[in-house]
Amino acid sequence: MWLKIRKSNPIFQLFLWLYAIISLYPLVWMLFYSLKDNNEIFVTNPFGFPTNLRFENYTSAISEFNVPQYFLNSVFVTVITVVGTIVLAVMFAYSAARLRWRGKTIAQMYIVVGMFVPVQVIMIPLAILVRDFNLTNTYSSLIIPYIAFNISFSSMVFYGFFRTIPNELEESACLDGANIYQTFYKIMLPLVKPSIATMVIFVFLAAWNEYPIALMLISDESLKTLPLGLQFFQGQFTTDWGAMGAAMTIASLPTVLVYILFSEQVEKAMTVGSAVKG
Amino acid sequence: MNKFLGNKAAILLFTLPTIVLFTVIVMWPTMQVFYRSMYDWDGLNPGKFIFLDNYIRLFEDRLFYTSLKNGAIFAAMLAVLQIGIGTVLALTISNKKIRGRKFLRVSYFIPVVLSVTVVCQLWLAMYNGEYGLINKIFETLGIPYRQDWLSNGKTAIYAVAAVNAWQNMGYHFALLLAAVNSIPEQYLEAAKIDGAEKWKAHWKVTIPLMAETYKFCFILAITGGLNAFANMQIMTGGGPGTDTYTLTYMMYRSAFRVGEFGYGTTAAAFLVIECLIVTFAINKLIARDRIVY
Repeated sequence: MWLKIRKSNPIFQLFLWLYAIISLYPLVWMLFYSLKDNNEIFVTNPFGFPTNLRFENYTSAISEFNVPQYFLNSVFVTVITVVGTIVLAVMFAYSAARLRWRGKTIAQMYIVVGMFVPVQVIMIPLAILVRDFNLTNTYSSLIIPYIAFNISFSSMVFYGFFRTIPNELEESACLDGANIYQTFYKIMLPLVKPSIATMVIFVFLAAWNEYPIALMLISDESLKTLPLGLQFFQGQFTTDWGAMGAAMTIASLPTVLVYILFSEQVEKAMTVGSAVKG
Repeated sequence: MNKFLGNKAAILLFTLPTIVLFTVIVMWPTMQVFYRSMYDWDGLNPGKFIFLDNYIRLFEDRLFYTSLKNGAIFAAMLAVLQIGIGTVLALTISNKKIRGRKFLRVSYFIPVVLSVTVVCQLWLAMYNGEYGLINKIFETLGIPYRQDWLSNGKTAIYAVAAVNAWQNMGYHFALLLAAVNSIPEQYLEAAKIDGAEKWKAHWKVTIPLMAETYKFCFILAITGGLNAFANMQIMTGGGPGTDTYTLTYMMYRSAFRVGEFGYGTTAAAFLVIECLIVTFAINKLIARDRIVY
């Protein structure tokens, strides 16, 4: 009867640490083998800390394979996606939450529906659409869908924030002679800064790791993002596992660092979504 | 004030770009899925309207049943592993006396922020029949058992689903932990005063109060399993043979490998219907009355 186990039972605490090992060890293993040679990975020391740190794996991942190119593509696509998503979502959410026009509630609901559309489902029409606009194998073919897919969640979060701001702020701004754009930029934007920070992290993670759209729309080697470029490593790197580990570590570093630095915000952003979707 | 907040030019400027972009990139393709599922369509020419013929073909396709079965296995694995483990971890860690809580929380969540490609490549290496980590661990423990997990038609789908479960468990854990923390202390205290032991109190009090979160977790896990694609694409390519096909993978192959775009959208349309049914069923089954506390 597991239900009757007494409180602060050591078995459950043990489970906490055991699962932490299951969760982290594969990554630690990856980090370790990124610093080993094949012999050490397979034969002499498969589990433990590398005996001598082979940083040359990182140099070979960078020099012999396209890792820097993939990395730059990921940075470029991600930055534009984050900026585009936040700008559009903040403007839309402000208008839907604060301005006076007919159909604003419907417009907000319409955009939120996007949270329920899985990208996999609309892959085929999306690919045709991008082809018809002659965008296949361009940065835009990634950036435009990424923004469109991230707008729903972001605008929902901003909408919630804007609704909590008291009306008096706009009234006094209006009396002071500010126009609507000044009110938006100088008064409203600073107020929603905390949620902007959260959404920047959220969209960054989503765009940096996106895989299905990139797979479908990018075949040009010079435009591949990291998740797409790394897909074929198994084949390319069979002779050099250390370099493969190094490339994977490089690809993971930005998101892991951002998460460790902003763990509270990341988890908050994730859980906000559940309150509405459920 | 009305004139100030009803500035038509500003409203257009603020909303139009988003509405247009969203309509063109998300809503239009969504409608296309249903419309095109009734066409014999190669993606280039206008195509021929064949009404439900694609659906009939789908129901006669052996691969469709393999995909359905794999989707169900995948969804069940995610639901059981992610929500089961997530619940035990969230309830245990909600005890403020546990040391290293911050470290534990972060370590459960880290796999969530990794790219699916990195995770799949990593697990390909771990599952490897010759020098994979898992077989190595068996060897070290002296267990004479080796398995080429992904080349065995019986184990492959479970092995692939386990990778997805491993990667996203932390997300469910975070959701469940947030739900546990939002429950007022008094409820559990009251249960304890009434003599319920801790886990019994959780079972009777905490878990029912988390019904809304569970609803979301189940929808997420099950639709996530039905939609599974990237894991197959990177780890098995649907193989061995067709043993790890799912509906999304079937759709992807039909369109981008065989050029049957119409038939591919039929699989996609069926997937949408399947997900709607699941979402509806879960909403009916869990927490019919919204809990207010």
